Amino acid sequence: MKALKKKKYMGTTKSGPLLLIALPGILYLIINNYLPMFGVFLAFKDYNFVQGIFGSDWNGFENFKYLFSQDAFTITRNTILYNLAFIIIGTVFAIFIAILMCELGEKFRVKIFQSALLLPNLLSWVVIAFIGYAFLNSDTGFINNTIIRLLGLESVSWYTTKNYWPFILVIVYLWKMAGYSSIIYMASISGIDKSIFEAAKIDGATKMQQIKSITLPLLKPTVVILTLMAVGRIFYSDFGLFYQVPMDSGALYDVTQTIDTYVYHGLMELNNVGMSAAAGLYQSMVGFVLVVFANTIVRKFDQENALF
Amino acid sequence: MKNLKKFLAITLSLAMVAGLVSCGETQVSDNQGTEATTETTETEADSTVEYEKIVYSYATFNNIPDAETLTTVEEAINVITREKIGVEVELMPVSIFEYSSNISLALQGGDQIDVFQTLGDFNTCVSSSMAYDLTEIIDSCAPETKALLGENFLQSCVKDGSLYAIPTYKPYALTPMIIYRQDIADELGVDMTQVKGIYDLTAVLEKVKEKYPDMMPLIPVQTGDSGMGRTVANVDYLTDDMFAPKGVLLNGEMTVVDLYGTEEFASLCALTRTWYEDGLIMQDAATTTSTATELMSSGNSFCYIASYSYPTEDTAASLSAQCGNLDIGAVQIGEAYLATDSINSVSWMVASTSKVPEAALKFINLTFTDEAVVNLLIYGIEGRDYVKDADGFVSYPEGQDAATVLYTAQLSCGTLGNYFIMYPMVGTSKESLVWEEEQNTQAKTSPAMGFTFDSSSVKTEYTAVSNAISQYLPGLSCGSVDPDVALPEFIEKLNAAGYDKILAAKQEQLDAWSAQK
Repeated sequence: MKALKKKKYMGTTKSGPLLLIALPGILYLIINNYLPMFGVFLAFKDYNFVQGIFGSDWNGFENFKYLFSQDAFTITRNTILYNLAFIIIGTVFAIFIAILMCELGEKFRVKIFQSALLLPNLLSWVVIAFIGYAFLNSDTGFINNTIIRLLGLESVSWYTTKNYWPFILVIVYLWKMAGYSSIIYMASISGIDKSIFEAAKIDGATKMQQIKSITLPLLKPTVVILTLMAVGRIFYSDFGLFYQVPMDSGALYDVTQTIDTYVYHGLMELNNVGMSAAAGLYQSMVGFVLVVFANTIVRKFDQENALF
Repeated sequence: MKNLKKFLAITLSLAMVAGLVSCGETQVSDNQGTEATTETTETEADSTVEYEKIVYSYATFNNIPDAETLTTVEEAINVITREKIGVEVELMPVSIFEYSSNISLALQGGDQIDVFQTLGDFNTCVSSSMAYDLTEIIDSCAPETKALLGENFLQSCVKDGSLYAIPTYKPYALTPMIIYRQDIADELGVDMTQVKGIYDLTAVLEKVKEKYPDMMPLIPVQTGDSGMGRTVANVDYLTDDMFAPKGVLLNGEMTVVDLYGTEEFASLCALTRTWYEDGLIMQDAATTTSTATELMSSGNSFCYIASYSYPTEDTAASLSAQCGNLDIGAVQIGEAYLATDSINSVSWMVASTSKVPEAALKFINLTFTDEAVVNLLIYGIEGRDYVKDADGFVSYPEGQDAATVLYTAQLSCGTLGNYFIMYPMVGTSKESLVWEEEQNTQAKTSPAMGFTFDSSSVKTEYTAVSNAISQYLPGLSCGSVDPDVALPEFIEKLNAAGYDKILAAKQEQLDAWSAQK
């Protein structure tokens, strides 16, 4: 954002070299993100190897049909509700962590906590799935063998009981992502002019009051931008989280199946290029509409912070 | 100073751009390079004899050899092929895990691949036009192979009257077996030969549980598969994935039925449920990602149910090696049954994009008929990659194994050409080969042998049904869900997903197929 604003004040002659520097990035975007867009044709084609992408026969919306079968409601609901939960709880959690970290003061302590919080983010979902498995395994799992036994309760077959999974998934997500997303908020907080806090202190504001009246309001632009970006991806789910962590257990599909895992399961056998393209197009269309929609709302209430 | 900065910025960014462009260029020039070399070989060939060049891509379970090693094997094969069929072969081994996707991407990208294999997806390859129609050229290019396989087996690769592939010649018939710990069975005094079917297993499992409470009496053969499905006799899956069948033929009849609605399926689910409740089957069977051999190796498991195409003694011997040299036994609990998919699941296709289909088919023919060619493909170069003893058995050179020799594709042995002309490994017996070839001709055969199902008219339903199956089948198969509740739910969900449409489409295609016959 800052870069964008600066550009306004610079003449074209001065921005020339900058543009040149950006050129590799732009080229990368064109090659990686724009050229493949021609593949959008595939979503409306009955793909065939001999005729190729452009020569294959058109088949209208045939490829999209399977996305709207009987499971459509479940998978759409799961995808959207989980993402909403992640956006809301995730943001609250990240800000909470960021504020606590900024209050730690001493650099050494901050570094230690920060590394500890960041570590899960460096692990792949497969590894996390197995950490989860070590906890939840019904024969040898940590929870069944210690906590539940200590409480004298009946052991739980975690991977076949649906009720717990919405909570397990949210907890696992927070454990992995909260540390990482708090970094951006920490950066914004440390960017706040220290003199404002000093002035507040002199006026006799408590820590809580400072947080409420200074930190949170000044974080608002960051929150809005990050949320808007997250809303754009609300129709995409984190495949690893929903596929690996529940160990792809069929009994849990009602609460773990999202659009991505559904498409994966359905197409593993059919191996159909057109249908995969259709799923991708559908997700990005809805994502696009949602971003525009969310942005319109933001613009209405708070023009300054809208993306466009 | 300012100018210097500006200058630096420009030069640096130019350098980066140049770097990018040159990256692109090297690729282009690479392509030109290969083109150039093909041209030169062609011109060289002009002066002597002209050889057609084909690319043969196969899936390997072993390490991928480096390019230099590959060239030596290629050259050894080419010595034979130049003389016999006037063709030069370029080998392209691909790891089994990425084979299907790599081949389909390479063909889409226009790379030269003339011969490739189907790994269970015969239908997909044909319906997406990846395969060249071999009907016209098989008589002229591969008459020996045609005679070797016979009409019956070739039928499995025929679709709408056209032949699209050549099935690998190997032991086809998969026999359901129980693989168990011989030492523990002996200790408990259990006579495993008395176990004739899956229902006889309960008593054995109970005994094991009683003596070894910490041991898992039965483990899944793979994630979510207790193996119970394999014990249903005389099923033709009609070319569906055998782990997720959608509409099958039972007992030699020609009516497509729903396997999940049958009494047999219900009683099998009830059986595994009692196993689960009594702790006779691994509690995490529906979700564990460990393979049966891994679990056996850990020494904490008693048995699993699987199907193999080798005699029980051979199976036990080879599994023993894979299970940390434990004392393994195997007992047959059902009969082998041959259907289209048992034959065509691994078959060889000529790519529809191939410019030299005749040459490609001629080479496929050699992999079925020429002992030297097929053994070069499997074992590499004699002396360097393997040694052969006086009786014709093969082993790795001293101090070497499958992981250290320069070239081997030994684990792919059942997938390349003709299995029966490959040199046997030390430890196997030649009688087994005879038994296996007999099984191929004597096993019970489905009346729909040769029929392949085209799912393209019911794609939408197929996706939904696949999802329903992966939701319920593992739980039912491993007993971790209650069949009284889950089975009716499963069937209801299947019906809602348009299961009957798939059954109807199958029946219709099957009727049309048998009328044509």
